[in-house]
Amino acid sequence: MPQADAVPALAVRGLMKRFDQPAVDDLSLTIRAGEFYALLGPNGAGKTTTLRMVAGLLHPDAGTIEICGTNARKDPVAAKRVLAWVPDEPMIYDKLTPMEYLSFVAGLWSLDANVARAKADQLIDVFGLSAKTNERCQGFSKGMRQKVALAGALIHEPRLIILDEPLTGLDAGSARQVKAVLRHLVEHGATVIMTTHILEVAERMADRIGIIDKGRLVAEGTLDDLRTTSRVHGASLEEIFLDLVNDDGVGEPDSTRVAIAGAPA
Amino acid sequence: MSATTATLSWFARHEARLAWRDWMMLMSGGRKRKDRAVVIGMAVFALGLHAIAGLVLRPYLPALGGVGVPLLAAIAMSLVLTFTMMFSQALEQVTRAFYTRDDLDLILSSPAPARHLFCVRISSIVITTTMMSGLIVAPFINVAAWLDGPRWLSAYAMIVAAAALSVGLAVQATIMMFRLIGPKKTRLVAQITAAVVGASFLIGIQTVAILAYGSMSRFALLSETSVLARLPDAASALWLPAHAVMGAPVPLLGALLIAALYVSWVVQRGSREFSTHAVAAMGLAETRRTHARVPARGFAHTSPFMALIQKEWTLLARDPWLVSQTLMQILYLIPPALMLWVSFGAKSNTATLLAPVLVMAAGQLAGALAWLAISGEDAPDLIATAPIKPRALIWAKIVSVLALIAAVIAPFVVAIALMSPRGALVIGVGAMAGAASAVLIQLWFRAQARRTNFRRRQVASRISTILEAFASILTAATAAVAAAGSWLALGPAALVGLVMLVAWLVRPRGD
Repeated sequence: MPQADAVPALAVRGLMKRFDQPAVDDLSLTIRAGEFYALLGPNGAGKTTTLRMVAGLLHPDAGTIEICGTNARKDPVAAKRVLAWVPDEPMIYDKLTPMEYLSFVAGLWSLDANVARAKADQLIDVFGLSAKTNERCQGFSKGMRQKVALAGALIHEPRLIILDEPLTGLDAGSARQVKAVLRHLVEHGATVIMTTHILEVAERMADRIGIIDKGRLVAEGTLDDLRTTSRVHGASLEEIFLDLVNDDGVGEPDSTRVAIAGAPA
Repeated sequence: MSATTATLSWFARHEARLAWRDWMMLMSGGRKRKDRAVVIGMAVFALGLHAIAGLVLRPYLPALGGVGVPLLAAIAMSLVLTFTMMFSQALEQVTRAFYTRDDLDLILSSPAPARHLFCVRISSIVITTTMMSGLIVAPFINVAAWLDGPRWLSAYAMIVAAAALSVGLAVQATIMMFRLIGPKKTRLVAQITAAVVGASFLIGIQTVAILAYGSMSRFALLSETSVLARLPDAASALWLPAHAVMGAPVPLLGALLIAALYVSWVVQRGSREFSTHAVAAMGLAETRRTHARVPARGFAHTSPFMALIQKEWTLLARDPWLVSQTLMQILYLIPPALMLWVSFGAKSNTATLLAPVLVMAAGQLAGALAWLAISGEDAPDLIATAPIKPRALIWAKIVSVLALIAAVIAPFVVAIALMSPRGALVIGVGAMAGAASAVLIQLWFRAQARRTNFRRRQVASRISTILEAFASILTAATAAVAAAGSWLALGPAALVGLVMLVAWLVRPRGD
C-alpha cells in the first residue's frame, strides 16, 4: 500500500439521517487515502444510506462530509469531481453502447476527448468488453452491465470510489475481474469503500473493516483489531460480525427444522 | 395451499385483487387517504362530466326528431369512433399481457394451467375496456336517457358487446402478428397499430370534413344534405347497431350474442397458444443484443450541458416505441395542418382557429417528453453524482425538451406567419409557454421510474396530471383569445399563473 495521504479520502462527522426511524445515527468515519475499506452490516443497518449521503444522493439531516479535503455539503461539485459511485443495481442506458456510455460519462466530467478515448479503450479492454463495445447495452447480463457501470465510474480516474454491493449477481470470473481492478486501483493510490454481504471478500481484500448496525458504527479496524474488539478470539470475520451485530434472528441453524422445511411433502 | 388453487375462479380472484389495488392507486396517487375522499372526488368528477354532457346534448336531441337517418348516422358514427378507441386500447392491453414479465416468470414456471390465466386476463381486458369507454360515454347515455327516455340505457349493453368484439379482434390480431412477424416485432407493430387506429377514425373524419366543408367538426358531414341523401334509409340493416343502442330488443340481443360467442371462441383458441407466445416474448431480452449492433461514435470534447442534451435526443431517437408513443400526438396535428393548407390565404381567422390546437399539442408533447427526460432517467445516480450544478442539469433537461417542441411547431408558425405575423407570434409564444408549463410541472412532481413505464406515468401523480391538463387547456385558451386580438386573453393567462402557483405549492418536497 502506498504512503497514506495526510488528508483523509473521506471524513464523516456526526452524520444523521432519519426516515420513519433513525437510519444513520451520529455516524463518524475517517477513511485514509489509498485505503480499501469494507463497510459491513446487516440488512437495514444504514450502509447504503450512509454511502448515498457521501455520494450526494441524499441530504443528511445533520453532520459533515469531507471528500479529499473538500466539504461535500458546501461544495458538492468539487467533491463530485474526485468521486465515483457505483450502485448495487447497475444503472446504464439500454439504448447506448458501452463506448457511447463512456463518452457520455466523459462529457459529464468534462474530460478531454483524447484522454477520455484512450482511457475508455483501456477500460473496455480491462473489463473484457471489447467484443461488445459497439453493441447496445439492451439485453446485457447483470455482470456485463456491472462492468459497463464500473468502467463509467473509473473513466475520470476518481480518487474515491464508493461501491454498493459490487459483486452481487456476478459470476466467479466477473467477480474476480472486478476484485482485481479494485485492488489495482488501491495499489495506485485510489481509495475504495465497498459494502458487501460476502464477508470472505471483505476479509481478504479490505485494509480496514467498519461494522455498522442500527445506523451506528459498532466496530472498526483491521481484522485483528476486530478480533480484539469482539468477544470471540481467533474467530473468522463471519463469527466476529455475528457477535458484534448481535442479531437475535441469527445463530446456528436448527438442523431439525431445516431438515423438516426442506423435506418433500 | 389447497389442491384447487389454480382454477379459473382462483385466478379471477387474484387478478381482481390486483386490479382493485391498481385502481385505488390510480385514484389516490399512492397516498394513504380515506376511501371516502376518493368516492367524493369521483362523484364530483362524474357530476361535472354529466353537466358537460347535458350542455352538449341538449341542443341536439330535440333537433334530431324521431328515429331518422341523421340520428342513426350520428349514433353509428359515435359507435365506430368508440369501437376504434376500444380496439386501440384492447390491442395495447393484449400485447402487454404477452410481454409484461411481472408475474409471468412465476406463473409459467408453475404447474398452473396457463390457459386459465389467459382466459382471466382477456376477460379482465373486456371489463377494463368496457369500464374505460363506459366512463367516457356514461354521462352522455345518462343525460340522453333523462332527456329522451330510458331506451338509451341499452347503450350500456352495446358498450359491453363492442368491448367484447374489440378485445376478441385484438387477441386475433396479436396472435396473427406473432405468427407472421414473430415476437420481436409484434410488440412495436401492435402498439403503433393501436395508436394509429385510435387516432385514425377521428382524424379521418376531421380530414374529410376539412377538405369537403372547411370545418374541423366530425359531425359537419352529417349536416350536409348531399351526404345524408347518399346514406341508406332507416330500415337498412346497416343501422341495426344504432337501433340496438336505442333499445331495439332483437338487434341488441343479437349484438350481445354475437359478441359473447366470438370472444369465447377467440379466447378458447388463443389460450392454447398463449404460453408458447408469452415464452417467446420473454426470451427476447436474451436475443436482442445480437441484433443491436451500431457503429461507434467518436469521443468529442463537449460540455456536460451538451452531453446531457445529446444523450436525451439519442435515447429518444433509438427507441421507436417511445417515439411512436410520444410523437403519436403529432398525428392530431394533421387536421389543423390540413385546415391551414385548405384555408391558406383565404381566411384571416385561421390563426385564431389553430392557436388552441397547436398550443395544446405542444403542451401535451412537452409533458410526455419532459417525463422521459426528467422522471424516466435510467441512470439517476450517475447524473446526480456528476460534477454539474443542479441548475445546469435541470436547464439541460428543459432545453432538450423545448428544442424538440420548437422543431415540431416551427413549420406551422412559419406558415401562419406568411398570413398573419401577429397570429404566428401568438402561437409561437403560446406553444412554448404551454410546453414550459408542462415541463415545470413534470420537474416539480418528478418521481423516478423506468422509461418503459412511460404509459403508466400518469398513475404516479394524479394531481400533476390534472394540473398539467389545466395548464395546457388554459394556455391554449389564452393563445386563442390573444390570436383574436382581445385583451380578454389576460383572464385565462392569469388562471395559468394560478394553476402554476398551485402546482408549485402542492409539489412534493424532500429527498
